[in-house]
Amino acid sequence: MAENNFRALQSANKGKTYFLLASMGALTWLVAYAALTYFGVGTASTMVPMAVGFALIGVWGSYYGSDKLVLTMTGAKLITREQAPELFNVIEEVVIASGLPMPKVAIVEDSAPNAFATGRNPDHALIAFTTRILEVMDRDELQGVIAHEMSHVANRDTLVSAVAATTAGAIAILSDFLTRMMWFGGRGRDRDGNSNPLALVFSLLILILAPLAAMLLKSAISRKREALADATAVSFTRNPAGLRKALEVLASDTTVVRQQSNAVAHIWIESPLDGNTVSKLFSTHPPIQERIATLRAMESLGPAGE
Amino acid sequence: MEYIVIGVIALLVIFVIAQYNRLVRLNITVDEAFAQIEVQLKRRADLIPNLVETVKGYAKHEQGTFDAVVAARAKATSASSLADVAAADGAVTSALRGLLAVAEAYPDLKASSNFLSLQEELSTTENKVSFARQFYNDNVRQLNTAVKTIPTSFFAGLAKVGAREFYEVENAADRNVPNVKF
Repeated sequence: MAENNFRALQSANKGKTYFLLASMGALTWLVAYAALTYFGVGTASTMVPMAVGFALIGVWGSYYGSDKLVLTMTGAKLITREQAPELFNVIEEVVIASGLPMPKVAIVEDSAPNAFATGRNPDHALIAFTTRILEVMDRDELQGVIAHEMSHVANRDTLVSAVAATTAGAIAILSDFLTRMMWFGGRGRDRDGNSNPLALVFSLLILILAPLAAMLLKSAISRKREALADATAVSFTRNPAGLRKALEVLASDTTVVRQQSNAVAHIWIESPLDGNTVSKLFSTHPPIQERIATLRAMESLGPAGE
Repeated sequence: MEYIVIGVIALLVIFVIAQYNRLVRLNITVDEAFAQIEVQLKRRADLIPNLVETVKGYAKHEQGTFDAVVAARAKATSASSLADVAAADGAVTSALRGLLAVAEAYPDLKASSNFLSLQEELSTTENKVSFARQFYNDNVRQLNTAVKTIPTSFFAGLAKVGAREFYEVENAADRNVPNVKF
């Protein structure tokens, strides 16, 4: 299909996210079912809400205060218009194109070119750039990067990743609890569970494999949101070449952001983790060459990108 | 039985309100988008006298170009209807392009810090104008689609919302180039 204009790409990636989020929900349900089969109603009805509760508490704070929390985690510093008038000019251009409110702007002192966006909603949005990305990119490229970041704001990706993190977290906590209980003979205390051996083996498998599956789903959601942000960026600038060139600059640069914290890896425009050691399935970003190829296909559609 | 009837009526009322609000909201967004175009056009108009003076200081013999810019600006500031604003906007864009082409021939001018900062201001304003146009036209497209398609089309009369005009700059090439390079 020749459906590579940004509108088709946007709706395709949105559809895929919904599907993946629904799969996450189904997985949580499966784990709850496994708990029920293996340990019975008593254990399942306390453990499942507890795990979801813990995960919610853990993620909610970082979602709600994401703009402030990420500032401390990455060492980004808020800047004003006077400190970088040209950067603000380009940001204002994209803000007008997107119809979103003006975000807060921050700088991270770092020798790797990279950028990220965060904030719980468009009114609390924050976009940050490393000092290096401002040095190596020309105006068009920077516009593409800003449009990609503003797309994360427009698509509410902080919320999407918070939902994904909550479910993945709940599944991890639950399966951790339950497998521990198994080793300590938890089944002896709560005998009302199912005793069909096939169902037991099945639930055991679910409990062991669920956290891995949840991690994979979480990474897949993150990758779809990155692809969506690229498409939305083109809908703002109508200039796929700008972002494409920016990604080429990022691809050719081998330095990575110093703070290699897994916790905030997903928010950068280019994955700060070393691409060779992280396998493709666990990656938070689509391969950069694939993103470049998609944008190149959009360029060939004509000047308006339609 | 009554509960079902009440439920259906409630759902219908909610449906009508949602359609009505969607149309009104789209119409307001179009108004706001047009106001944004005007803000940016005003900014550009305010930059012009300063820019002309700066270029004049180095290139005295280009009176024809200066006159064209000043005339286009005067026309743009007096325009009021959407079609007039759009036409005058296109004229200013091409007159400014002429002025900056003239500037190319004067190395001293191009090196002056005053000119450089004006050029940055002008190029960002030019981008903002064109993104504001794009945002306006995207919203007009959404509004017009809603006015003409079912079910929103049934409520267009009720909401007193109709199809709106696109903002079309005369020279089609200007529309497709959001990144003006000088």
